[in-house]
Amino acid sequence: MNLTFSGADGIIILVVYAVIMLVVGYLAGRGKKLNESLNDYYLAGKNLGIIALFFTLYATQYSGNTVVGYAPNAYREGFSWLQSIPFMTIIVGVYLMFAPRLYAISKRANFITPTDWVTYRFRNKAVTILAIILMLWGLGNYLLEQLVAIGQAASGLTGGTIPYEYAVIGFVFVMLTYEWLGGMKAVAFTDVMQGIVLMVGIIVLLIGALTLTGGGISSLTSDIATTAPEKIGVPDSITSVNWLSMILLVGFGAAIYPHAVQRIYSSQSERTLKRSLSRIALMPPITTGFVLIIGIIGIQLFPDLDTAASEQLVGLMANEVAAINGFYYWMMVILFGGIVAAIVSTADSALLSFSSMVSNDIYGKYINPDAPEKKKVKVGKFAGIGVIALLLWIAWNPPGTLYQIFVLKFELLVQVFPAFVLGLYWKRLAAVPVFWGMLTGAIIAAAMTLTGNSTLLGVHGGVIGLAANFFICTVGSLLIPASQAKQDEAEERSSMKLEEIKYNEKTGSLG
Amino acid sequence: MQKKVKEPIRKPWIWITMGLLVLFNAPWYLPVGSMEPYILGVPYWVLISTVLSLVLCGFLSWLCLHEWDIVEDLEEEGRERSGNK
Repeated sequence: MNLTFSGADGIIILVVYAVIMLVVGYLAGRGKKLNESLNDYYLAGKNLGIIALFFTLYATQYSGNTVVGYAPNAYREGFSWLQSIPFMTIIVGVYLMFAPRLYAISKRANFITPTDWVTYRFRNKAVTILAIILMLWGLGNYLLEQLVAIGQAASGLTGGTIPYEYAVIGFVFVMLTYEWLGGMKAVAFTDVMQGIVLMVGIIVLLIGALTLTGGGISSLTSDIATTAPEKIGVPDSITSVNWLSMILLVGFGAAIYPHAVQRIYSSQSERTLKRSLSRIALMPPITTGFVLIIGIIGIQLFPDLDTAASEQLVGLMANEVAAINGFYYWMMVILFGGIVAAIVSTADSALLSFSSMVSNDIYGKYINPDAPEKKKVKVGKFAGIGVIALLLWIAWNPPGTLYQIFVLKFELLVQVFPAFVLGLYWKRLAAVPVFWGMLTGAIIAAAMTLTGNSTLLGVHGGVIGLAANFFICTVGSLLIPASQAKQDEAEERSSMKLEEIKYNEKTGSLG
Repeated sequence: MQKKVKEPIRKPWIWITMGLLVLFNAPWYLPVGSMEPYILGVPYWVLISTVLSLVLCGFLSWLCLHEWDIVEDLEEEGRERSGNK
């Protein structure tokens, strides 16, 4: 995306953002011995307050792609992209299925990663390892996507003055540095800045776009009805099915992202968690909803863009908005910096989660369980650098035909859902069917995506895999139930045991 | 003293309501291609889907605050006792 409105000013704003992130990271870690405990480094001591928790949930769910990628979707699909509001909202609904109980158990049993719950519930090596592989694979690809997006956005903002590779390396360096210094605390505090900038940017872009159209909403819709009736009429049934499938895939997938689960663990208290989620549920209309309107306005302002050209929609529009006057010019520069910042804020959460799983799940469970926590944290930090290096190498040397395997994200992650959530409430759920369900679901989802049939009659491969997964888990557990002893054990572990929970006045948490 | 615990998963009405709000969010039950009448400048089905989406947001937001109460009292009491606000 080449933005004629920017260049040197874009570089200034990116440098300002980078400096703020570094300062916040430094302040978050200053004087604290974060590195000595997994809890402190990866979960901010399980003590995030409402503002930090709200913004870190927001910045994790909404990325730069929410603006740069969703506006073109709205442009191409028209009003059926309304689905972006419910599919972001339903994430909170899926949280409500498991977060209340998982929060209470996580405080009692001191979980660090999502895998901790799977291990605690099933005590089965095969289930744990498969869950780790699926989550790390999904998370790694998610991170890869964010890294590529950082480069594209930053080089677009500066009109190519900062080349793609330098932009990626520069921001990766900034991200690794503040994460190294302040862990989860730095990630959450930088998310506050990144989230605010993104929100303000979207609102200004919307106001600018509305100014450009001149006419009201009626003239906009009647114009689209004449030029592109398919974008404004009731969509065909495949699109409607796909719309519902999207709600399921994003809802189940995004709530089960390892970094999303870790935000449940990080909350200071149940009150903080539910208040933050209650506000997050209200954000989709003013985030993806506004982006939808921006995309729709694009249909009128820039008719007849082909798919490739429509990908540049936000840039095209920002150029026009920036030309209105000096205020809009600077707001658009800030918006594009904000888009880069939003991508960084999504990438940092994913990276921290990745490191924590290497630290706690791979190294801490299987390689060196007796290692002191300080060493585990250190291993995670270096693993983070390692995975970034590997992903950058993949990004710049895409492996030809197999590139599709790096597209799999939600499809794989979501397969952990039955083990994770059914396991909370159903004591009969047994490890063996869970393993085969997870594996079958992952294979179906991967095979459909890799063969280029990512949907079947509008239903996503990930959703079909998930349905098969649920079926195998439940029928398998009914046919070959776990032994009574195992069921009792499972019941004991998944109960909230409220009578035993006490508030620990020293640590300020439950125990 | 333990107050009655509120856990959303135990209340079927929550999931039935949520399911219906999601199911009718996509306009599969309306005639394909139709766009009239226009209400408030947008096709009727856009308004229906938007309203259902907003109701979903409000419903979920309300649920978080009013149908979820497990360890809150315990934590808040403890916090007050230890002056750790």
